[in-house]
Amino acid sequence: MSHASTVTSFADEVKAIPGGEHLELCYSCGTCVSKCMIQQKIEPEFNPRRLLRMVMEDMKEEAFNSPTTWLCSECDLCYQACPQQIHISGVINAVKAIAVDDGKATILHTAKVNQQTCVACGLCAEACPYEAISIVQAKVPFRGMIQVAKVDPGRCMACGLCSAVCRSTSISIPDENTDDAIIGNLWDWMLLQEVED
Amino acid sequence: MVDAARQPRIDVKAFTEVEKVEGFVGNFKVTLREKAKYVLADRCNGCGDCAKACPIEVPNYFEMNLAPRKAIYIPMNQSVPLIYSIDMDACIHCYKCVEACGQLEAIDFSQKDKLVEEDIGAIVVATGFSHFDPSVMAEYGYGRFPNVITSMEMERLSNSAGPTSGNLIRPSDHENPQKLAFINCVGSRDKRYVPSCSNVCCMYSIKDAILLKQMNPDVDITIYYIDIRTPSKGYEEFYDRAREMGIHFQQGRPSLITEDPDTHNLFVHAEDIALGEVTEKEYDMVMLNQAVIPQPDQNHMSSVLNVAQSPGGWFMEYHPKLRPMDSPTDGIFFAGACQGPKDIPSSVAQGSAAASRAGRILHSEEWEIEPTVAVVWPDRCSATTKGKACGLCVKACPYGAVKIVGDKAAEIITAKCHGCGGCVAECPENAITQLHFTDAQLLSQIRAVLADKPEEKIVAFRCHWCSYGGADLAGTSHFEYTSNERGLRVMCSARMDTDFIYEAYRLGAGAVLYSGCHPQDCHYITGQVIGAKRAARLTKLFNRMGMTKGRFRVAWISAAEGDKYARVLNEMQAVLDDMPLEKLKAEIEELKPQMEKRLKKFPNVPGVSEAMDFSDTLTKAINEQKEIG
Repeated sequence: MSHASTVTSFADEVKAIPGGEHLELCYSCGTCVSKCMIQQKIEPEFNPRRLLRMVMEDMKEEAFNSPTTWLCSECDLCYQACPQQIHISGVINAVKAIAVDDGKATILHTAKVNQQTCVACGLCAEACPYEAISIVQAKVPFRGMIQVAKVDPGRCMACGLCSAVCRSTSISIPDENTDDAIIGNLWDWMLLQEVED
Repeated sequence: MVDAARQPRIDVKAFTEVEKVEGFVGNFKVTLREKAKYVLADRCNGCGDCAKACPIEVPNYFEMNLAPRKAIYIPMNQSVPLIYSIDMDACIHCYKCVEACGQLEAIDFSQKDKLVEEDIGAIVVATGFSHFDPSVMAEYGYGRFPNVITSMEMERLSNSAGPTSGNLIRPSDHENPQKLAFINCVGSRDKRYVPSCSNVCCMYSIKDAILLKQMNPDVDITIYYIDIRTPSKGYEEFYDRAREMGIHFQQGRPSLITEDPDTHNLFVHAEDIALGEVTEKEYDMVMLNQAVIPQPDQNHMSSVLNVAQSPGGWFMEYHPKLRPMDSPTDGIFFAGACQGPKDIPSSVAQGSAAASRAGRILHSEEWEIEPTVAVVWPDRCSATTKGKACGLCVKACPYGAVKIVGDKAAEIITAKCHGCGGCVAECPENAITQLHFTDAQLLSQIRAVLADKPEEKIVAFRCHWCSYGGADLAGTSHFEYTSNERGLRVMCSARMDTDFIYEAYRLGAGAVLYSGCHPQDCHYITGQVIGAKRAARLTKLFNRMGMTKGRFRVAWISAAEGDKYARVLNEMQAVLDDMPLEKLKAEIEELKPQMEKRLKKFPNVPGVSEAMDFSDTLTKAINEQKEIG
């Protein structure tokens, strides 16, 4: 009779990271899910309760591929509501950290720096709410060893704040939500308001 | 209630508080405060004319403040005894009631609280429970939204004797609600408020749902739950019946209730766990099944009765499985929810058990107690030798069984003594001994276990109830721990005398374990606290002496923690293994004079020097592998 060792399970890895400790107290009541704004407004597949369950059941790959791992904004509405006082965003962050260590990239888009035009003013780093941007020394083709902004893909939440503050348009989120697309959407919305009035 | 009041040998004392409990099993002296009713019990016939005349209306607590009552009132129609009383906080002294009472002259405004002392043989505590106030949970909106009500309010609203004569209406517009939500676990199973399960709510909400559905089959009821717990006989069948009646059960704890300010309808936000979707459903009325909590004056009663409280505040039973109706104090018993949340069948069972336990005492001429009680040698007490009693024994006793009157030697009230041995170990004059656990007996044991190669041995002092059980469990579970351990049993960690520990080190023991119950598990109320204080003192002292850390270890181990017992012992063994033998022996020799200094008075204790002589012969015999004649 032999059982797979539970000593080095995924759950233990998560529990070892500060924030992930109380994971196993979850009794799946669903309060976090019904509190979550991301679940209700952005991504219906976002479900902290299920992510906790995946971690407890050693479903590593599923957890890494779940939008819950990557989309949490750490607003901690669920933490205040959780009757078991589990710091859910802490658990999610722990899963995220393990995923990044395992070489998993975020399923989100990550802000991209145009190293040719970046002037390393640091505005983006200051603006970033997730502390994902830092100014580093790097070798850039044609420009030599200079200071440029660098994005940590594990932390970037693709909110676009950096792109909004950048004065040299050197950083942006490479996806369908380009500046033009957003302005186009805004126009459509304003026209719609006018018709309704 | 009415039956109890009619029984000639039952004396119902309503509106009376227990002020003081003194004495011991079979001989309690209880002081009762009979509160002033301002109505003479022997004259009032309960006709109610006074209440009709009274012009003052205040909220009726019995109706969950949903209906008014007068300033002169009975709490409910079935009140026993049926005697009116005046609420002096509300009364305006118009004396209309006196007029209405007329010839009976039952109203007496000059009445005062009366203190009565009674001789009581046994006490059954049945003080019940209280309810968690859900208004502190802002997300459910109780107190803000009129149509969010508690289960107790629902009980009155749906009761045919209630303020609406059983016509269920919602508070905002007095319409009959068609769509209802019941929310379970409000405040309970919640680390922020009441961490424990309230036991009764699942069945309670199912019962309410079935009753409402029977009254009106068109009503739509949804019960929100985390888990439905129906463990007793017939409960699961009841749950099935509710499902078959069309009552909806939705797994998922609601996170928010919002209200439509115009209709006062409510929206319950919750995840439907089975679907994995967040639902937001509209209801006419929401009932919160609030947590069961101890009575607000439970702490006060606990000190009046001198009974301990379990975590959560409930009264602590003698043993959770074998003696759930007994308190740790002989002659005091528990019935019902004052000992922990329980439903009606369990309360009735416990109440009957408590009554029969109390009956045993009332019908006995003599009462057997534990034989391990403390006894004083009055000639050794500091009251005799120095003219003034130090009083340490009185402080150490969790039961108030030690008495010092004037300048006389301390005295033990044997019937109150439970035999923890706290006073025995605390006494600086060694003037108290515990039967079956005398200093001489324990000393002989210490000497016997340390007869051969003492530096290799770990002497483990274990308390009878917890760590001894933990060691037992470690054995029966086949947890491996060091074979150098030598266990010595005492009743409580309070009995682990400093002298024993000095003696063990004087004899050259490698290490000593000082173990007992966790503070909340102590079988002698606060015995462990006395032991823990002493252990802390000893740890400090040995650190100062320069003893290697880990040679004296303090650990609180419950009877269920066999693994912990094994782990602690193995860690202690590791400390000894890490020390070279010469270094250990040198340390033992170095500390020996300090131990001897502290043991100077010990041989004077009656029986100890004889025990020393005997155990010396014994030790010699063990070492020479000889039989002694």
